[in-house]
Amino acid sequence: MNKILIQGNHVIGEAAIRAGCRFYAGYPITPQNELTEYMAENIRKVEGGTFIQAESEIAAINMILGASAAGARAMTSSSSPGISLKQEGISSMAADELPGVIVNIMRGGPGLGNILPSQGDYYQATRGGGHGDYRTIVLAPDSVQELADLTMDAFDLADKYRNPVLILADGMIGQMMEPVVFGEPRPRKYDESYVLKGAGKGRSRFIRGLILDALKMEEHNWKLHRKYQAIEQREKRCEISRTEDADLLIIAYGTAARIAKGAIKRSREAGMKVGLIRPITLWPFPDHVIREFSDKVENFLVFEMNTGQMLDDVKLALNGRGHVHFYGRPGGVVPTPVELAKVIAHHYNNNRSLDED
Amino acid sequence: MSTVQNFEIYVPKLLDKREFFSAGHRACQGCGEVLALRLIMKALGDDVVISNATGCMEIISSAYPQTAWEVPYIHVAFENAGAVGSGVEAALKALRRKGRIADRYVKSVAIAGDGGTVDIGLQALSGAMERGHDMVFFCLDNEAYMNTGIQRSSATPFMAATTTSPAGKAIKGQRTGKKNVPEIMVAHNVPYVATACPSYPIDLVNKVKKAKEVKGPAYVHVFSMCPTGWRSASEQTIKLGRLVVETGIFPLYEVENGKYRMTMEIPKKLRPVEDYLKLQGRFRHLNADDIEKVQALVNKEWRKLMNKVACMKPW
Repeated sequence: MNKILIQGNHVIGEAAIRAGCRFYAGYPITPQNELTEYMAENIRKVEGGTFIQAESEIAAINMILGASAAGARAMTSSSSPGISLKQEGISSMAADELPGVIVNIMRGGPGLGNILPSQGDYYQATRGGGHGDYRTIVLAPDSVQELADLTMDAFDLADKYRNPVLILADGMIGQMMEPVVFGEPRPRKYDESYVLKGAGKGRSRFIRGLILDALKMEEHNWKLHRKYQAIEQREKRCEISRTEDADLLIIAYGTAARIAKGAIKRSREAGMKVGLIRPITLWPFPDHVIREFSDKVENFLVFEMNTGQMLDDVKLALNGRGHVHFYGRPGGVVPTPVELAKVIAHHYNNNRSLDED
Repeated sequence: MSTVQNFEIYVPKLLDKREFFSAGHRACQGCGEVLALRLIMKALGDDVVISNATGCMEIISSAYPQTAWEVPYIHVAFENAGAVGSGVEAALKALRRKGRIADRYVKSVAIAGDGGTVDIGLQALSGAMERGHDMVFFCLDNEAYMNTGIQRSSATPFMAATTTSPAGKAIKGQRTGKKNVPEIMVAHNVPYVATACPSYPIDLVNKVKKAKEVKGPAYVHVFSMCPTGWRSASEQTIKLGRLVVETGIFPLYEVENGKYRMTMEIPKKLRPVEDYLKLQGRFRHLNADDIEKVQALVNKEWRKLMNKVACMKPW
């Protein structure tokens, strides 16, 4: 396996093609353009690979809905404002139980915001995002290597649960270059029963999200709910590091987790026992891990590049136990490890003096 | 010969000296689009409300906390210039009628790039024109998504290379011709539709003034040269604008109540398209056969237009 230096946005494209993605529809928006450009250049080099530049984000998501219904592994990508436009399509895919991968390279918001890295779309990503009672699996990589691995996993998860999967990274991870070793993709396993490929000799198939009968709709909602419960049981992922003796735990994901790792190194050098919990799946949220730590650790610091969104999930996981602190920088500001280390020292020392009293 | 005869067409010295789009913005060297915008603003004056969709012109002129705009201005999401312009017009009309604001005529103006007009913004534009709002829509067409790094749009010309229509051996860049949005606007029964180019400043200004005076919707499609995206020399900007008209690739005309009129003198023989193509890096991969194909497409479109000019009568 060759180790190559490659940019985050290009990695998503390359990993998707290796994982068997044969249909990509995109639309220009910074900071994810390199992905669209990579697909324009490279997906046509593999057999059956199709690239379409759509006329809008809405068209792009519905093109992958169509491609998915026709049986292709399909992906689209955008950045925050574009993902908002895609929500109706994502909701439809969830309702129709069609697999698909959607990449969100987040930027500052709300509105058009700016083009700098941010984590303001956490709520949108983890609460379904569009209308109706549904969820999407959300994967949050913190390095280019993990971006490669999770992109491949995203296609498998989408097929396994027949549900849209969202890759939630930000402009920083999309734009930076790191060495990457591409893993071996697993062969595609999926149930062909839903694929629309012409009636042939069998019965014609039928995909719909409009169910006018209330009881039938309720039945469909509960069916989806049971699927989401199964996902919650099986697919929670997180990384824990330096938690063995920790007095204070930082909870951060994506770029924020990278910054936290730097800050923890500094704090440890200064003698503070600080650890990290990094959720890799944001939905399903790895609340069981956080809950387990609440027996040993009193203080938690949620660190995000927004004004406090994952904070809610951490509080729900802890359910009143421990103290939850928050530090965030929204709007495209990328905080430094030094900055976070100061916040850590503040909470750590405050807590110490309380204990001594 | 004709240049000397029509000297005033090319010399914008008689234009209003006031600037409503001020200097100090961040446009690239040799930007034809910002020149067009400056001339449009001179022609419109300051009794306007601008609704500007995301794109080059918004990014270079309105990065907080600075702005180049000296007139009321709102920046809106990519697909919405037509819709927001409609809202502004309807609200101003209602407030004027109720006596809440001074009884002064203020024009609602929507400005978008080619992506914000011919792709994602077409729905909102069509709605605005169909409802007949008293507004002007300007499409500043630089033939691709330049702001995000040169991706193709449906205004990208046949065989042009962009980052999402890369030129290879089998596929030579953009595979389809330019979407003819002025024609779509004519089909909306819009009272005034025009095409313009900043290389012909007086013609552009006259069309903008006409569009402003029309009571009802008006649409002006402005060809905007882009040295950055077209891989051409920045000092060639004005020349490219002239060549695109002289080769018949982008003819300058206006449609008043369904009547087509060429606003520039119709040359007896068009220049070969090669003169225009060879100055730009985006067409560098074309061989003689490809240029022949482009020429054939241009000839066909030119014939279609000439038929309309000859036959169409006002409603």
